[in-house]
Amino acid sequence: MSEARIEVSNLVVRYGGVIAVDGVSFTVGRGEHVTLLGPSGCGKTTTLRAIAGLEEPSAGAIRIDGRAVYSSAERRNVPSEKRGVSMVFQSYAVWPHMTVFDNVAYGLRVRKLPRTEVAEQVERALGLVQMREFASRPASNLSGGQQQRVALARAVAFSPTVVLFDEPLSNLDAKLRAEMRVELHELQRRLGITSVYVTHDQEEALAISDRVIVMNNGGIEQVGSPETIYNRPKSRFVADFVGSANLIGGRMKSSPNGPGPVLFETAGGVLLQARAAHAPHGDEDRVAIRTAYIDLALAPPNNAPNAAAGNVRQRLFHGDFIQYIVDWPAGQLIVRRPPTELFEEGAAVTISFAAEHCVLLET
Amino acid sequence: MRGSFPRVSTQSIVTLLILLVCGGLVLYPMVFLAEEALNVGDPQEFPLQEWGLGNFAALGEDWHILANTGLVACLATVMAVIFGFVVAWILTRARVPGGSRLERLMELPYYMTPLVGALAWAILASPRTGALNQLWHAIGGNGDLFDIYSPFGIAWVMALFEGTVAFVMISAAMKSMDPSLEETSRVLGAGKFRTVMKVTLPLVMPGVLGATIFVFAEMLGSFAAAYVLGIPGRYYVITPDYGRAAAMGISLFAVMLVTLTIYRLIVRRGNYTTITGKAFRPRAMDVGRATWVLLAVCWAYILVAVVLPMLALLLTSFQRFATVIVGQMQFTLVNYENAVRFAAVRSALVNSLVLGFGVATFGVLFMTVLVWIIYRSRAPGHGLIEYVAMFPQAVPRLVFGLALLWAWLNIPIPIYGTLWLLALAYFTVLMPLGVRTLAGVMLQIDKSLEECARVCGASWGYQLRTVTMPLLRPGIVAAWLLLFIASVRELGVSIFLVGPNAQVIAPSIASAWLSSSTELSTALAIIQTSAVFVALAILFRATRRFSGELR
Repeated sequence: MSEARIEVSNLVVRYGGVIAVDGVSFTVGRGEHVTLLGPSGCGKTTTLRAIAGLEEPSAGAIRIDGRAVYSSAERRNVPSEKRGVSMVFQSYAVWPHMTVFDNVAYGLRVRKLPRTEVAEQVERALGLVQMREFASRPASNLSGGQQQRVALARAVAFSPTVVLFDEPLSNLDAKLRAEMRVELHELQRRLGITSVYVTHDQEEALAISDRVIVMNNGGIEQVGSPETIYNRPKSRFVADFVGSANLIGGRMKSSPNGPGPVLFETAGGVLLQARAAHAPHGDEDRVAIRTAYIDLALAPPNNAPNAAAGNVRQRLFHGDFIQYIVDWPAGQLIVRRPPTELFEEGAAVTISFAAEHCVLLET
Repeated sequence: MRGSFPRVSTQSIVTLLILLVCGGLVLYPMVFLAEEALNVGDPQEFPLQEWGLGNFAALGEDWHILANTGLVACLATVMAVIFGFVVAWILTRARVPGGSRLERLMELPYYMTPLVGALAWAILASPRTGALNQLWHAIGGNGDLFDIYSPFGIAWVMALFEGTVAFVMISAAMKSMDPSLEETSRVLGAGKFRTVMKVTLPLVMPGVLGATIFVFAEMLGSFAAAYVLGIPGRYYVITPDYGRAAAMGISLFAVMLVTLTIYRLIVRRGNYTTITGKAFRPRAMDVGRATWVLLAVCWAYILVAVVLPMLALLLTSFQRFATVIVGQMQFTLVNYENAVRFAAVRSALVNSLVLGFGVATFGVLFMTVLVWIIYRSRAPGHGLIEYVAMFPQAVPRLVFGLALLWAWLNIPIPIYGTLWLLALAYFTVLMPLGVRTLAGVMLQIDKSLEECARVCGASWGYQLRTVTMPLLRPGIVAAWLLLFIASVRELGVSIFLVGPNAQVIAPSIASAWLSSSTELSTALAIIQTSAVFVALAILFRATRRFSGELR
């Protein structure tokens, strides 16, 4: 597996009696950007810190470029500073007693590079984040966004091959966060680094990653491209946590082997055509439909599949979209439509969605 | 640079070394104390030949000494908590002019030390000859207004000069109360008085209770006032017999340990977040005309705890013969000359300063690494180190001095009777102070600042040098000065460990006083207090600059 830059296998991290990470395995390819996504306490940060060497695992192995930096079998635990990875911290961790230049130069000076090269590399790194003119500023009087940039410059200044990101944008306000997301995306790709990114913000995860690993309760729920995670959630947890989805209970009506839709009967007796990403085993009891994939129309329902009559119970104006709560025979549906599609509360509507957007959940 | 060493070995070797040093310094003397307490044979014999519970049984005969100690500690605690509560309430909850400066002044008595305070109050209020009693006679009063040699007098001095802790703890509790809790009550329609009774008091009570217990433990271990004032009044609180002293020390230690454990339990219980929470700047209450009354109360405290004592000491130190009768006063500098001329006294002064510098400098370096290991490392046993390091807190100084005496007498290294022993002793008993001060700052430093250095490729040593130490600087400065002050004023352990070639200032003050050279002892007290106040002034400046709180 020399293709993999980082290889985590059967990683277990315990805190006293609590198991924070419970047998997690995944690989990150060269130049790949992988995000660990999950709610707080799911073990994503612990996994990242274990890769950085800041947390000592209880079992498993972590390899970087094929070299074991942690292995319970070989009883090996390489200290942080010898792993050659870099990291951006949630709190930025910009040293307030140094200037911006000294902060960024730290990793280079530790490596005892000649003075001229240090200056050159710091200049380059600060240029990447548009902070060149701040080099001589004391780091203690920078704004949050500027500190974020300094932390970023410091993390990439010594040209590491692997950069770990621990919720780097979570302390910024919403607008700045959206801006930095774009910059970060660009920077990651321009430098050709391999990155592992931790966040609880699903939008962020979908926007900047090549691959998303959804974690819950110390384990992995699903691994896939952002599109796969969004369109083909495997479990209730993923469907619920990533994006917003309606989970509809019921039971399977048929189990055709091979491709094509399966038939699902909801609790209210509505028959739906659904898609399964896995080979159905027959006792699945839930489908997920993204709130954005449901169409509403005033025309009465025809006999097309996955169409039903409903009634608008409530309308909430959100600006970028309008959220409707619609009563239908299977209960209530949450539907998000662009603000151009306006329906009155109490209006009779027809609900419809494509079979490929009605996903049969494995668990 | 130590970058080439693998972290595991450097750090774990240092951790092990520090654990051994701490454990040795703290626990080894306690073994000797226990042994001596059980020793019913020759008190100089180690390892002991005969052992039994005779010393503990003999405590019954000394019951009056224990009763005295208990009585004085109780009286002093009650007084200290009342003073502390009233002044803390005035300075944190009521709007009085110059409040923040007054707060600093309130801490001064603690730094003046109970020894100096006892001296000053002996001059002010000894029966018949004391200044206040003379004044009372002059205006036609009968008998004595105060008798400082009574249990009440001893407790009074302890409350004034040792009780500052109560003020600091109670005002911390009052300060850390979220003002919105009171505001809610006001918004819901309760008046000022009702708010104080129904919201403020119940919320602050745990803090007051905690302070009471903590101060009681402090008072049990404090003996300076009783030592200076108890002997003239034949009110003994210590005993000359080594075996019995050890037994008494162990009993005292047991009571203190229980008290401090109760204190810890109270503080730990989660719902008392008013003590540990974030510091708020509470909105002070407008008290109208009562402002001046409250202000007067504060200044009265300053008057009896700082101004009067300092005046008494200054006045006496410049006199040929101590007197408070104006007509008989002969002013002279001879006491200060003597302080510098007498070899023993001069060497005591120099030694105290040398010890102060040495212990503070070495102590701060050692304790920084110690605190790092306790709060940051994941090395096994780091919790144990904290327990060991804080242990001397629970042992009365005098008892610990006794324990150290036996411990180091019975070790083949000839450091008994030298400054080295005093340095080791200071280092050991001041460890809790240094660790607490540094830990306060260490816990404020975001952990990821250090982790980031490691991920950037820095070794443990390099990270400590370039990130931890610089960030910890305000704490290091504060800890250095506090250790210096505490060394210069140290009496409890010194009293057993000084020798002809190793004199220090506090015991010299006490012995000059007890051998009736009042004038010389006041001159020495002024010199000691000046050294402490200079260090304190620097400390206040430094902490204000770093905007860090002292405690």
